[in-house]
Amino acid sequence: MTAIGTPTKLLEGAPKVKGSLRFCGDLDRPGLLHARLVTSPHAHAEVLSIDTAAAEAMPGVAAVITAADLPALPPSNRATLLLARERAIFVGHPVALVLAENEAVAADAADAVAVDYQPLDAIVTIEQAEAPDAQAVWPDGLPGQSEEAAAHGAGDVSEGEEAVASSPNVTNRMRFERGDLERGYAEADAVVERVFRTASVHQSYIEPHASLIDPDPMGNGMTVYCSTQAPFFIRDAIAGVLGMPQDQVRVIGTPVGGGFGAKFVLYEPLLALAAVQHQRPVRLVMTRTEEMLAATPAPSTRITIRAGAKRSGELTALEADLAIDCGCFPSSMTALAGTLLGSSYQTPNQAVGGFEVTTNKPSVGAYRAPLAPQAAFVVETVLDQLARELDLDPVEFRLQNASEKGTPMASGMPWAGMGQRQVLEALRDHPAWQNREQARAEGRGVGIALGAWPGGTEPASAACALQTDGTLKVHISTADINGTNTSMALMAAEAFGLDPDKVTIATGDTSSGPYAGASGGSKTIYTVGPPVIQAAREARQQTLELAAQTFEADPEDLEIVDGAVQVKGSPDKAIPLKKIAQRTMRFGGRQAPVFGHGRHAQTSQAPGFCAQLAEVRVDRETGRVDVDRVVVIQDCGRAINPAAVEGQMMGGALQGIGWALYEEMAYSEDGQLLTATLNDYALPHSAQSPTELETVLVEVPSDHGPFGARGVGEPPVVPTAAAVANAIADACGARPTELPMTPPRVLQALNGGQ
Amino acid sequence: MTVSIQLEVNGKPVQAAVEPRRLLVHFLREDLGLTGANIGCETSLCGACTVLVDGNAVKSCTMLAAQADGASVTTIEGLSQNGELHPLQEGFWEKHGLQCGYCTPGMILSANYLLAQNPSPNDEEIREGLKGNICRCTGYHNIVEAVKYAAERMS
Repeated sequence: MTAIGTPTKLLEGAPKVKGSLRFCGDLDRPGLLHARLVTSPHAHAEVLSIDTAAAEAMPGVAAVITAADLPALPPSNRATLLLARERAIFVGHPVALVLAENEAVAADAADAVAVDYQPLDAIVTIEQAEAPDAQAVWPDGLPGQSEEAAAHGAGDVSEGEEAVASSPNVTNRMRFERGDLERGYAEADAVVERVFRTASVHQSYIEPHASLIDPDPMGNGMTVYCSTQAPFFIRDAIAGVLGMPQDQVRVIGTPVGGGFGAKFVLYEPLLALAAVQHQRPVRLVMTRTEEMLAATPAPSTRITIRAGAKRSGELTALEADLAIDCGCFPSSMTALAGTLLGSSYQTPNQAVGGFEVTTNKPSVGAYRAPLAPQAAFVVETVLDQLARELDLDPVEFRLQNASEKGTPMASGMPWAGMGQRQVLEALRDHPAWQNREQARAEGRGVGIALGAWPGGTEPASAACALQTDGTLKVHISTADINGTNTSMALMAAEAFGLDPDKVTIATGDTSSGPYAGASGGSKTIYTVGPPVIQAAREARQQTLELAAQTFEADPEDLEIVDGAVQVKGSPDKAIPLKKIAQRTMRFGGRQAPVFGHGRHAQTSQAPGFCAQLAEVRVDRETGRVDVDRVVVIQDCGRAINPAAVEGQMMGGALQGIGWALYEEMAYSEDGQLLTATLNDYALPHSAQSPTELETVLVEVPSDHGPFGARGVGEPPVVPTAAAVANAIADACGARPTELPMTPPRVLQALNGGQ
Repeated sequence: MTVSIQLEVNGKPVQAAVEPRRLLVHFLREDLGLTGANIGCETSLCGACTVLVDGNAVKSCTMLAAQADGASVTTIEGLSQNGELHPLQEGFWEKHGLQCGYCTPGMILSANYLLAQNPSPNDEEIREGLKGNICRCTGYHNIVEAVKYAAERMS
């Protein structure tokens, strides 16, 4: 093999460094209307009236749309919520949409829309929402549930469903149980019980949501340009809301300037309604404040955990109860959360479960390994504490109880093959762990943690065509998330047998391209790779058969070397690939073009594990924490493009530091977001990234992944906050129980409180 | 009401009449079609819109086009010379200092300003110098490597 495993620069690197790549917000159309949202300033309010007259009278304003102009759909998620009718249910809930000739006029007009609200009491916290006598966020009953959790690898949501909700806001209650907890605690030599909280955080892609809807002038549907991880989801959502055939909605994915789980479907159906109504192209590029107020952040959680272990290191019991604040719509993520809480370690006695609550806040979305950083923060810090109390080596303690292939996950389903043990062993043997006393002597605390991501599955298809210039064109329809196309090219090159420089990627739209799922759940390479390889192999076989006719030889006796087909070992009579292709694409030609196809349904997951070590300094006076070093050790199955894999690992770890120390969507008692700009919402900057950020690739081939590859995007964000928390404890003994671990929280933990 | 401005953009003279409130970033993107400067936050915090104004790194979302009257502006589109990538552009690509590419133009221009002030910065100076540009994808490590790569080639 030559292509696979070679660090390779991004295919689309040149337009990215030259600034010539066209993001959605760069696109224009004749007659383009610029959209701006008018959003609710109240977390919960009755909308008494909307006066659009002043806005509509402004020069350059084409229309002001309100709910009265839209179909009255029963809202089941944010894509169908459209505009507020009688009630606004979160700060940022759109109540009107302005369409104007330019951005400035649209913003002016949005300010001129006068909405009369009657503010109502809002449900803001988990405690308010779960109270038996709580006011219902949905007085007429909870709406349907999203499909997103399934895309991110959740198990069967209905499993473990039990107990009638006590509060009207409690939903998706589930619990996975096995063994006898009381016996487990009785056998334990140490039991740790704690309550943790994690803040809502924002995915904070730097490119805001952007979409441009271009209605067909003949009235036959529309073309949608959209920065999305999921072009086919956008198509289905728009077709569903507008009640039109899916084929009339052609979605062209534009380059995604960061998504991290948040760019699925948001306001595209609303914009499509507006564009079709007014028969003009409509573009919405969200502002940062709209992103903070009116997108889909990650949920805040409260997790109660109790775990026990013997002095011998045997984990005897684990119980965890999780409450997820999913904002105004259910998110269907509790089964996934239970899996994440109770699957990495084996204990005979276990109960993990939880529920979601709806609140008057924006409904939550996926963010890079949804619920996994929260689960790891809780489980891994408690294991660390148990190890300390029982005087056990924290790595050996984890190894002793580690899950492995075939052992049960929380749900009882068996684990697929994975490299949990291998990443822990690599951590144990790493110099940073071996020499930890030196770091301690220099005043730094050293912490470790493990993170898991079960992995996603989905069917996908692809095609490969040999071109008349001797290159191979790969047809796929996946959103290229940070280098996945480059890896597709490497896999196709490897399978066909030509140089990766000779492979191009043609990304199709939802009307012309082969199906692929959303680029999310760490499954892009895992699910689209196999059909790409299959298509490239078929194209290779066809190419050899064409050449065999010329050589009057058996295809088995031919090989492809340096862009030409030859009889094995006889380069002198080689036929260039371009010549073979040219014969198949000409007037009167007699040979069929080379066109390989691939189709595959990945049905089993390829779990990804990541172990991390963090070294931190804690200022005992101020509570400030600085992360000096992070070692990221990950089982990627097989690194198709090691440069891209390492990029994911480092980027994930820094997002993990954001979780650990800085990022928080803070809300006031009445549901106002207090961190609505990047001035208040602290994204890690370059001086907060560890000066030593090291990656170690472990390769335990997955059972069904392309060349053994596993998903790599999500695992590296999972253990970081836990590793930092354990390093803080190592440095100063403080065990903060709330993310982010801001200086006041660290100080409080140092002073004995929680 | 409009204000008449004359300036140089990527070495070429530009004359325009702009609304007094028009931001430099909107002027560059919408009036001149130079969409390399991206908008990420509108509040001068993310740095995606960074351009060079008379050699200084400026967040073009917090400067009015009218204030650029008489100035010389360089955007990412004006960085490469004679079709050759600038060493910083080369470095960001070569060292995998970019992923989604949205912060990249601003990051490269901030790095360009940094290298003009300090042609051979150490890691810490690079990290300090790029604090005003947020990257959500890379973790910054490879961005530091990219800047060092360029510094070596430019010295």
